Amino acid sequence: MKKLLPILIIAVIIIIVITSISKQNPMITTQEGNTKKLPIEIIPNHFHDIECAMTIESEINSAQAISPSGKTWFFDDVGCLMKWLEDKSFKDEAILWVYAKDSKTWIDAKKAWYVLTDKTPMKYGFGAREKRGKNSIDFEQMQLKMLRGENLTDPRVRKKLLGI
Amino acid sequence: MEIFLSNQLFIYLFSEGILFVLNIVALLGSLSILKSWDFNSTKPKQYKLEKRTYLIVLIILFSLIFKIFLLPYFAYTIDSLSSIVPGAMCGAGVISANEYGNILLFLKIIILFFIGIWLIINKMDQDAYNYPFIKTKFWFFSIIFVLLTFEFVLELIYFSNISLLTSVKCCSVIFGVTGDAKIPFGLSTVMLLVIFYLLYILNIVLSFQKNSLLLFASSLLFLYFAYLGVENFFGTYIYELPTHKCPFCMLQKEYFYIGYFLWGTLFLAIFFGVSNFVLKLLIKVELEVLYKYSRIFNTIFVILSSAYPLAYYIKNGVWL
Repeated sequence: MKKLLPILIIAVIIIIVITSISKQNPMITTQEGNTKKLPIEIIPNHFHDIECAMTIESEINSAQAISPSGKTWFFDDVGCLMKWLEDKSFKDEAILWVYAKDSKTWIDAKKAWYVLTDKTPMKYGFGAREKRGKNSIDFEQMQLKMLRGENLTDPRVRKKLLGI
Repeated sequence: MEIFLSNQLFIYLFSEGILFVLNIVALLGSLSILKSWDFNSTKPKQYKLEKRTYLIVLIILFSLIFKIFLLPYFAYTIDSLSSIVPGAMCGAGVISANEYGNILLFLKIIILFFIGIWLIINKMDQDAYNYPFIKTKFWFFSIIFVLLTFEFVLELIYFSNISLLTSVKCCSVIFGVTGDAKIPFGLSTVMLLVIFYLLYILNIVLSFQKNSLLLFASSLLFLYFAYLGVENFFGTYIYELPTHKCPFCMLQKEYFYIGYFLWGTLFLAIFFGVSNFVLKLLIKVELEVLYKYSRIFNTIFVILSSAYPLAYYIKNGVWL
């Protein structure tokens, strides 16, 4: 038994390492070759938001940006997409997708309506909807508010919109 | 170049310079001994060589033991430079200030292993009456000298290439605490800890079984996984911050210089773990006491690392 113990320990270590390697799910920040410029299905904990460095856990609240060459970036929050897009040379030509909470489908971000008080991963609060709601705003307004910092991360805005 | 005005760096390089000169003297003496040594000879030349050997060994001994103490001082110097190198918050930023830093650190650790082996061979040689390992130890010193020369040159290049005008990265960027830090092989923290403790048990078992080859391999593996363990788990309890994964910050005063003890015991555990196999290769000798020291330092290191998370859990009732 004493002589077998080292072999047993080595075998367990090898099994742990091999199992971990095989389970490894490499994180993806960008995906090339999306020439059709359609939204890519979000696999939970597989995509990385390049702006906030968070792992995307769900397609709810997530967004995607596709450059003219077909390179796709993934975001866990619409606010992250807006911040990231601002200084990109292709920001006007980029195809932007957001996941609509009401229709549960990917829709064109520029045609979506946004509520201001959703619970989003980065707490910006902008939640995409396909149909216009009572207090929703359009893409341009949402973009402006996000870049000005007028979102739920600002205590004054939070107080005004949520009363807390 | 302004960096050379730092007191700590000046003392460090001055000491290194003196040691290097001493080592040159020792090397010349070693070569003459290697060339003409014949223990069976009764000629006056051999008698003279035996007397000279004593001096040369004394010089080497002094210089190499001093080098051992210079490694923690090097870490201290690097750490102190973080206050003048823009962007650096600890030694991690200074070490990665240019491409030579990490190579230098790695080389220093390798040299320390070599020095340790030389000291053991020398002790055994001096304890014997007929200098059985004299040629081996002087050849071995010649190899160490080549490494020391390379190290000294690398040191000068490294320090002269640290800019005080350009920002370096701080440890939170280098060790990826912004959220994308990953343990190699896709290991989870729990699995990393399982491997860490299994390797510790393996080291202990192999040292009792006196299996030098397997202990050599498992000690090297333990070095790698222990480093990962401290960086990704134990270190976060030293800092009491789950996002702080730096192996250098623990060398600072704020953490009671615990890094010196932690890395020091790990080094000694690994050194005593690998040394019997190396000694077997070089002089075909195996020492029981090295197995014992391997067990002692492995255990101290594991207790020291494990104490932090345990103390945190006992105090707070939760894990980080």
